[in-house]
Formats: sequence, C-alpha cells, structure tokens
Amino acid sequence: MNNLVQQLNDEMSGAVENVRQSLVEIRNGQGAGAGTIWRADGLVVTNAHVVRGRHSLSVTLPDKRTFPARVLARDDRHDLAALSIDATDLPTIEVGDSRVLKAGQWVMAIGHPWGVAGAVTAGVVIGEGAQLPEMAVSGREWIAVSLHMRPGHSGGPLVDIDGRIVGINTMITGPDVGMAVPVHVVKAFLRAAGLEETIKPAPPTRGGGYI
Amino acid sequence: MSVLSDLSNALAAAAEIAGAGVVRVEARPRLPASGIVWSADGVILTAHHVVEQEDAGRIGIGLPDGKTITAKLVGRDPTTDLAVLRAQATQLTARTWADPAALKVGHLVLALGRPGEHVMATFGVVSALGDAWRTPAGGRIDRYLQTDVVMYPGFSGGPLVDASGQLIGLNTSALARGVSLTIPVTTLRQVVETLLTKGKISRGYLGVGAQPVRLPDALAKQLGQETGLLAVSVEPGGPAEKAGLFMGDTLVALAGQPIRHLDDLLAALSGDRVGATVNARVVRGGELRELNVVIGERA
Repeated sequence: MNNLVQQLNDEMSGAVENVRQSLVEIRNGQGAGAGTIWRADGLVVTNAHVVRGRHSLSVTLPDKRTFPARVLARDDRHDLAALSIDATDLPTIEVGDSRVLKAGQWVMAIGHPWGVAGAVTAGVVIGEGAQLPEMAVSGREWIAVSLHMRPGHSGGPLVDIDGRIVGINTMITGPDVGMAVPVHVVKAFLRAAGLEETIKPAPPTRGGGYI
Repeated sequence: MSVLSDLSNALAAAAEIAGAGVVRVEARPRLPASGIVWSADGVILTAHHVVEQEDAGRIGIGLPDGKTITAKLVGRDPTTDLAVLRAQATQLTARTWADPAALKVGHLVLALGRPGEHVMATFGVVSALGDAWRTPAGGRIDRYLQTDVVMYPGFSGGPLVDASGQLIGLNTSALARGVSLTIPVTTLRQVVETLLTKGKISRGYLGVGAQPVRLPDALAKQLGQETGLLAVSVEPGGPAEKAGLFMGDTLVALAGQPIRHLDDLLAALSGDRVGATVNARVVRGGELRELNVVIGERA
C-alpha cells in the first residue's frame, strides 16, 4: 500500500517537473498570468485576458530569463492568445488529445495561483463539450475539471497523467470547479492564425495508397 | 507500469460502468438533474427537490443511449429528499450496489451525474461515516455518509460510486449546506419499497410548535430526564389541541417514550402510529398530567 502511494507520488511529481519546464509567467504591467511554450522558437500560448491592457508584455522562463513579448494573434471569443519571444531551443510541451477525455480521468492544472510560481492542483475531468450545464450559454467548448484553480492559473496548461497538455486553464465557476479551453480549440486557433504547420500526409506512391 | 495511469483509467472506467445506470431527469425549468436506474423495468430514483413539474408527460428521462423518454411520478418523500419515477421502459441498465459494510473512511469515490447528454464525474474520498441521523425535515437516514466530492450543478439524484463502479448511495445537495452528503442504499431501499407500494411515506403529526426546555431539578430526578419540549404554539383543531394540550405545557413522554429533544418527538411520530391513540405525558403548572392523543398524519 505504501509503495503504491509512493509510486503514485513519484509519477505525479515527475509529470509536473516536465510540464514546469515549458511553463512561463506573463506580465502585462497590471498583473501576471501563466503561459505555455508551444514551439521551441518562442511561440507561447496563453489566454487573451492575460495579455489585455495597454502595457508592454514580458515573458519569464522557468530559468528566470525575461523577454519582451509581442502578440501574434488573439481571439477574444475563445479567450486565446499567441505570443512570440525572441528565444530559441525552448523546451516545448507535449500536446495531448482533448477529444478523448473521459469523465473521471486524472488531470493537473499548473500555473501561478496568487503568484505562487508553478503551483499544481490535481483532480478529475468532470465533463467536456459545449453542453455543460453552467456554460451552455457560452456556446463554446469547455473542459470542466474538479480541482482548485485560482487567479494566476489562467493561461497555464491543464495536463493529463503523461504531462501532455489537454487544455488552457481559463476560469473558475466555483471554488472547486475550473474551466479549461480544450487543446483542440487551441490548435484550431493557431491554425487559423497560420501559426501551426498542419502535418501534411505523404503523397501517395504510384500504385499504392495510404496504409 | 504506471500507477497513475492505472488509477486514472480505473476512475474513468468506474464512471463509464456506473454511468450506464445514470439518467438525466428533466423535471424542473432550466437545469436538469440526475437519477439512478433502480430496476430495468423503468423504476428511477432521484432527489425530491429536483422534481418540480410532476404532471403527466412533463418528466423527461434522458437515457445513456441519447434517447429521451417520459416518466411519471410514483411518489416522493420530502423528509429524505427522495422521489421515485416510473418510465415506460423495459430494457434499462440497473447497476449493482456495493456492500455497505465494506465502505471505509478514506476510500476513493466518484459522484456521477448526467445533467447533459454524457455522464459527468467528480472525485473525492469518504470523509466521515457515522450513526443514523435525522434530516431537518424529520426523515431518518440509516447512516451518516459525508464525502468531499464536488456537487456539480445537476448532480443531485445521481449516485456515489466506489472504485469498481458499484453504487454506494444517492447524492443530494438539499439535505445540508456546505457538505456533500450521500443517502446510503439501506435507506434508499426502504423508501423505494414504501413509495412503490403506498405511493407516499406517512409521518405522524401532532400540531404543536415546540422547543426543548430544562425541567426543574425535582422533576428531572423523578423522570430521569433533564429536558422536555415546551409547546410554544398549538395548531387550532390539530391532534394536540383536540387532546387538550395547552400552549405552555411541556411534553415529556409520548407513547411511553421519553421526549427530551425534537428528535425524540420526530422518532415517536413514525408513520405506523398515524391514527393510533397514544398516551402523552405533559408538565402543567409543575405537575404531571396524562393526555390521550390521536396521532394525525402530516400532509
């Protein structure tokens, strides 16, 4: 029993450690939020409401280096923003699949709640989709999670047990219920902004087909 | 080998397995709630407080396969916040119930609901197990069962399930504020059986407003109890007034059972006493008097 719980602890902390490598802090002159390094060449994804305001933006990496950031694309309706910083060889987050999430499966939200850097809260997926009772009027897709999201988690990653991002922490509807924008919505946003190369299937060879 | 992935998969599997027996209950405006399939022939158990529209054809049941069928109200028990519905169906999936004796504080549990199309889940542990208790409305629950699961909107009427997907009880947010309470299967069985056979749960009624008061020392010693119930109001024409009980009387025993607190009185007014003539012992002017009361029935 003790070994099992110990192993659980090790696996959770291991997953968190990996995710933290690509977790950034975004300052907008008024407050701070979180963001996730999406591409090694400096593409960072966060919430639109984190980059709101007239002040200049800066992004601080886990190694404490701080860079000025510029907004490449912003979608207020889905509360998403893509930023660029002038850095290379950054550790990126692994992208998971938010379309296969199941009610009851384990997830973790990482961010800077109340300014506590890289803090983690864990829980389960309550449900997902555009029909959640409290979010139906929004007409948008959400992942509802049962964990303790707080201000400062915004823009940070919601990850599955393997540390793959499945959503962007965006808001709370109660002290114990958080809402994340599913990562497939993030991908669509980046595609529409021309920021994510779609993977093209290899051309069919003569006489053959896809296998 | 990953324990975390095993745990995550097991929780999701438990939600899926048990979720086949969880339905959506559309019986109030706006927010639908949840229900548990009690038997494959269409008996559905839900929370009393979510059934606001009970007219024929106005209760919709959303099945796990996406279909919606209608149901009618069989009966309800506001004191335990339970309601039984019957849907015109024969092929529903009823899930198995866990052995109540196996449940321990610290066990991992899920609360399930289906306010929308798909089953939803929140996760927590069994926080406390205790003795039988009485709800503020007077219903008796065989065991106190508190968890730290989040009661997501529309989860009332849905089940608490264990790690293997077996059902433990029914969750409702109406019995207590701020804590998640579950009505265990033993109480569910009693209420469902009574509602299916009689259509209601009858409770006895006296027609008094009462509050506990301390008895004078001599009387307390004589009766072997320190408190009684002071009648602060007596309903005109009610069973107590008909029996000659006055405002200002202190009730100390009913049907031979000592009445020290409100809970004693609620216990003494069980449904099987309705219509029975019982002895009521009261203190009036410092002296004991015996009255005969015909127990009424609470509407």
